[in-house]
Amino acid sequence: MTNRAVVVLRILLVLLFVGLLVGQTLSIPGQLAYMASQSPVFAPLRWPLLLVAVLGMLCGQVVIVCTWRLLSMVMADRIFSEDAFVWVNVILAALVTAWALLLGTTVFLSLVLFDDPGTPMMMFAMVLAGGTVVLLMYVMRALLRQATTLRTEMDGVI
Amino acid sequence: MPIVVRIDVQLARQKLGVGEFAERVGLTPANIAVLKNGRAKAVRFSTLEAMCRVLDCQPGDLLEWVED
Repeated sequence: MTNRAVVVLRILLVLLFVGLLVGQTLSIPGQLAYMASQSPVFAPLRWPLLLVAVLGMLCGQVVIVCTWRLLSMVMADRIFSEDAFVWVNVILAALVTAWALLLGTTVFLSLVLFDDPGTPMMMFAMVLAGGTVVLLMYVMRALLRQATTLRTEMDGVI
Repeated sequence: MPIVVRIDVQLARQKLGVGEFAERVGLTPANIAVLKNGRAKAVRFSTLEAMCRVLDCQPGDLLEWVED
């Protein structure tokens, strides 16, 4: 059952990775170029925003790669080992980075660009959701730590 | 605080080889070595029971505390 879930999860991860790649190279640059051509206020923000968006999506790609490695460890029953924490720490760092980028962009754009309340509200909702995910990941890492300690102890029982 | 498992004495008493003992108890030779040199962290009661059964002895005959 877990194996099947892992296979499906891996397919989704590949699709997500490709989606992020398309976003980084085509969608976001195109969208920003269009918005810059429509609004002179937006024009100077085009390149900084592109940089932030590409970096944010890069964080997502890092998370996907690390998740892939962790899934390999799950399949091989090696998830409860010290090696897993390397990937978990990288995931946590990438999530915190992406969250900080999102928060910064949201605050900045809310102050200088947006005149309607809808978009900032939506972005702040994303900031809240992102913070939830980061903290949840932090708690899950602590649980993995506990489980790893238990497994190590049980392995010593003869 | 090493608790040493005195398998050797009981093996000699029963005239049993380590290999055969390991097989009958269901332990790997590596784990037998761990038990003998006092590096074991924990022993299952089921393992202890199997050892007592094979060696026809009591847990007290197997477990010994030695000072560091």
